[in-house]
Amino acid sequence: MTKDFAVPPVVFPSGGSSAGPNVQQRRFPATPFQPPRPSSSAIPFMSFDIGSAAASSATPAGPFGGTIASSSSFGGGSASFEDEEPLLDELGIHPDQIWKKTRSILNPFRINQTVHKDSDLSGPIFLYLSLCLFQLLAGKIQFGVILGWIVVSSIFLYVVFNMLAGRNGNLNLHTCTSLVGYCLLPVVVLSAVSLFVPQGAGPVRFVLAAVFVLWSTRACSTLVVSLADGGEEHRGLIAYACFLIYTLFSLLVIF
Amino acid sequence: MYNNMGPQPGMPMPQANTQPSPFGNPFSGPGSGLIRSGLGAYGEKIFGSSSEYVQSNISRYFSDPQYYFQVNDQYVRNKLKIVLLPFLHRGHWTRISEPVGGRLSYKPPIYDINAPDLYIPLMAFGTYVVLAGLSLGLYGKFTPEALNWLFVKGMVGWFLQVMLLKITLLSLGSGEAPLLDIVAYAGYTFTGLCLAVLGKIIWGYSYYVLIPWTCLCTGVFLVKTMKRVLFAEARSYDSSRHHYLLIFVALAQFPLLIWLGNISVNWLF
Repeated sequence: MTKDFAVPPVVFPSGGSSAGPNVQQRRFPATPFQPPRPSSSAIPFMSFDIGSAAASSATPAGPFGGTIASSSSFGGGSASFEDEEPLLDELGIHPDQIWKKTRSILNPFRINQTVHKDSDLSGPIFLYLSLCLFQLLAGKIQFGVILGWIVVSSIFLYVVFNMLAGRNGNLNLHTCTSLVGYCLLPVVVLSAVSLFVPQGAGPVRFVLAAVFVLWSTRACSTLVVSLADGGEEHRGLIAYACFLIYTLFSLLVIF
Repeated sequence: MYNNMGPQPGMPMPQANTQPSPFGNPFSGPGSGLIRSGLGAYGEKIFGSSSEYVQSNISRYFSDPQYYFQVNDQYVRNKLKIVLLPFLHRGHWTRISEPVGGRLSYKPPIYDINAPDLYIPLMAFGTYVVLAGLSLGLYGKFTPEALNWLFVKGMVGWFLQVMLLKITLLSLGSGEAPLLDIVAYAGYTFTGLCLAVLGKIIWGYSYYVLIPWTCLCTGVFLVKTMKRVLFAEARSYDSSRHHYLLIFVALAQFPLLIWLGNISVNWLF
């Protein structure tokens, strides 16, 4: 039994015919619909401007997964569109910086501290999503759990470090979360590797987890002590706190 | 007997008046930043007014947490030795007090092995949760929700221990020891617990030896500490009631630690 819906006709204000199916002829540059910036009209959908999109389709758009930063989105009627920053810059995501920071942690023996001076949260979010992805491949849906544990453990490390460092401790929560997130990289590698290790709580899994947890701990405590003042004489104490945090995450991966 | 100082090249010298008195002024230093943001909802109402009454009330109930984190490696090691093997501590158990700004206050943990600190209890609690998760996982019952339950169970156990000590103090006429002191003393039981759970993970039967040992050690430690606290605080000295209460504290460790040490998914056994 079908119901008949009264479909309102799609009306484009300029440059197009009124019905939907004629859209095929237009061959938009392969980006999906992106609503224009809400600077001009009150109803963003209705101020959809085909004309300028057709004009800008001359610029090579590429597939969507490519450079989001290119000006391939539809013009929203604001005149200064070309002056606006690329999308990634505006969001504060710098892929090359993320890659540099990630690569600095990949070497377990020598950690480059200068590259972590400005903290950002997009790298940790990316690492969090990849950890969740590997856990999903192992059959465990733990998105909320891992996010909650990252938040709690970064608050924990923040409190412990500032209390230990005393009056000259200046770790702030953003830096702390950024460091905890980046040093999750070995745990991500552990979860990827443990997809291929046979199931069952054999000693192999524990030894593997121990190695990666120690790597994480070393990275995190070195970075925290070198990036914030006041932690030099408490390295061992802070390292133990980091060790607890990453053991907790490795429990999620092993069991 | 325990020399906590050791070679400390970068440490600020204690004689210079850089460290605030522990109970005097909790509103300076980075610890105060955490207090401020923690009680941020009250904002100007509490901290704006500089009334002595309000400040002294807060500092009476919630002393400066910064004091409890002035620790170093050597202190941690020696304190763990005392907590886990209290029989072997040959020195005295009283805290060293120093007159600071006209008021008598205790030396911070770096200088005094008998001073309570909050770093060890916090870390011991964290270790307990992690080890309990590990032991759950080895029996195949690990889920993140179970770990949350264990966390809550540990918190309840800590709270019960604090209540026990607080009621002991109150029933002897004075409950005036700072709350964070009592929280710290209560938290030291988690170190012994961690040892018991670790023993259970390594070899199942060692648990039945380690739990009575831990209960005994914790009981002795708490009795000796409470005795000093009571002597320092109590106004009336009623000998037999004193002793019965102390024995009660020691005996109450047994059910509490057995309950906490029994790692399982449900609340009781």
